Amino acid sequence: MNKLLLIKSFIVTTFLVLFSFNQSKAQTDSLVLYTPYTKVSVSPGNSVSYSIDVINKGSKIRNEDISASNIPRSWDHSITAGGYNIDKLATLPGEKKTLTLKVDVPYQVKKGNYTFYAKAGSVSLPLTINVSSAGSSVTEFTCDQKNMEGTSSSSFTFNTTLKNKTATNQQYALMADAPRGWSVVIKPNYKQATSTEVEANGTKSISYEVKPSPSVKAGTYKIPVKAVSGSTSADLEFEVVITGTYEMNLSTPSGLLSAHITAGSEKKIELTVKNSGTTDLENVELKASKPKDWSVTFEPAKISKIAPGQTETVYATITAAKKAIPGDYVVQMDAKTPEVNSSASFRLSVRTPITVGLVGIVIVVLVLLGIVFLFKKYGRR
Amino acid sequence: MQTNHSIVRPFWVIVNKEISDIIKSWRFIIMLAIVLLTCTGSLYTAFTGFATAKPTNDPEESFFFLKLFTISDGTLPSFIVFISFLGPLLGISMGFDAINSEQNKGTLSRVLSQPIYRDYVLNAKFLASLIVLSILFFSLNLLVLGFGLVIIGIPPTAEEVFRILMFSIVSIVYVAFWLNLSILFSVGFRQATTSALAGISIWLFFSIFYNMIVNVIAKGISPRQMISEYQLVSLQKLIQNIMRLNPGQLFDDATTTLLVPGVRSLGPLTMEQMSGAIPSPLPLGQSMMLVWPQITALFAGTLVFFGLAYMLFMRREIRSR
Repeated sequence: MNKLLLIKSFIVTTFLVLFSFNQSKAQTDSLVLYTPYTKVSVSPGNSVSYSIDVINKGSKIRNEDISASNIPRSWDHSITAGGYNIDKLATLPGEKKTLTLKVDVPYQVKKGNYTFYAKAGSVSLPLTINVSSAGSSVTEFTCDQKNMEGTSSSSFTFNTTLKNKTATNQQYALMADAPRGWSVVIKPNYKQATSTEVEANGTKSISYEVKPSPSVKAGTYKIPVKAVSGSTSADLEFEVVITGTYEMNLSTPSGLLSAHITAGSEKKIELTVKNSGTTDLENVELKASKPKDWSVTFEPAKISKIAPGQTETVYATITAAKKAIPGDYVVQMDAKTPEVNSSASFRLSVRTPITVGLVGIVIVVLVLLGIVFLFKKYGRR
Repeated sequence: MQTNHSIVRPFWVIVNKEISDIIKSWRFIIMLAIVLLTCTGSLYTAFTGFATAKPTNDPEESFFFLKLFTISDGTLPSFIVFISFLGPLLGISMGFDAINSEQNKGTLSRVLSQPIYRDYVLNAKFLASLIVLSILFFSLNLLVLGFGLVIIGIPPTAEEVFRILMFSIVSIVYVAFWLNLSILFSVGFRQATTSALAGISIWLFFSIFYNMIVNVIAKGISPRQMISEYQLVSLQKLIQNIMRLNPGQLFDDATTTLLVPGVRSLGPLTMEQMSGAIPSPLPLGQSMMLVWPQITALFAGTLVFFGLAYMLFMRREIRSR
């Protein structure tokens, strides 16, 4: 009887022990941490975000401390869920909660595997980050204003920021692919250059001065620009919108703006009207402001249309006044459209007609003939 | 060849003799001294005027050198004024006794008894005076040029040299005009004093009284009330044309235009002629065209007086005293 009691108590004890053991084991196992990517490869300077599920498989609410351990000291990390930084997380039985563990890998880091643990109470989840030696191959190239508008005569300055996110200094070649006839001046540090060096994790301001071709037509133009180093590159696209301009130039084919004219006579002068703008000029009228009693007529007096870059020829017939005194007179000619006008001042040197001089010569000759006659009549007596 | 020589040579013998007579005569030396003195004086004032003359932007500034002849600081008249005043006197002094004194001394009939043509005498006298005058005026103007170069230090441009050359020629024609007038008088009047006084009185009349008379006429014909621009211009033109009967006025017009390239017109101008005109110097050719009538008139007048003197002399009966 005594022996039976002993066995009985042993069994109970064993059961109790077993039971209690079982219970504690079940308590531990009921909380599970889960994330799909337990080993990732990144380059320095990147950050890794883990989405970790905390699953409560038990029958009680589990409220556990959340932490990450064994993360290298220079690395930053944060644990957030529901928009908060959290230190403790409670999970209902049979449910799961998701928290985010963000680990920033610094630029200055050695190549290799780094293993750390995400912990919820006593449960831990080993995570490994493999840092590749090449570092980050990312260059950030940004511009706050990539679109600009102006006329063909304006110049456009794009200010960009080049950020080297790699672990080493980078020598970037700077390139821009502008349309033909355009000029792009690249100025890192306000000096014109074709390449620039950016320190590891450093930034540099680069300005691009874009000048369109003077004969550019109105429209939208894209200018891709690139910064390329041995291991990394970045590109950006600028957009320039050219609006049409009205410009006109009145001159002569030789550029000479002076002529001789005899008083009372007419003179034909060839003029050129050039559309130096970027849009069509329509209904160009030609007029002249002239001294009184002079006349200026144009052939044709009106040009219906001049295409950009085109030159039209006009003949001006100037008639000087009969009473014009010798010397210089100014005749101003204007080419006008509602949008723009251009004028050219002609300097006309008036000459007196030779007829007056001829009369004088005739008088002198007559007198000389008279004297010759006298010599003949009386001379040889 | 032989005959040709015998024809030409006696003429040049007379010319040479006449030139040496003129140069040695006191009359010429006195006139030369007066001309030189006055011209030196006017040049001196021109130079002092240069020192104070402010450089301006006017287009005549490029004809810096010509100002030597035209500017004055007010104390003495300018070079061209002296030439136009004294030139006639020089011409009269050289010609007033050309024929009559020879006749009075009885040398004319002696010369004419030589185997030469009669007109040689008159021609040679005229030519000799003309040669002396030409040398005088060219050297005078070259002296001005030379002094100008030394004192101003700016070389004249080719155009300026041509203008000075033209000025010299016009001056010679002008003086030759008076020379011929006085030769005409010397043929016409028996007495040298009469012919001298006739020449001088004409000279005085034109240089002093003529302007006064024209002014009186102008005052008389100008209307009392307001007149239009055209009437004013035509009135001015009429008065100017009356003034131009004076050979001195012709000479002044010609020389001013030649030496001041900025002069574009000599008559009055209407506003419409001026509209659009910009101040600019005329090229020499155009300046010449502007004063061509004046030059023609002086030249023709010179020839006409010579022709008259020639005719009178040739028809004259010359007897020994």
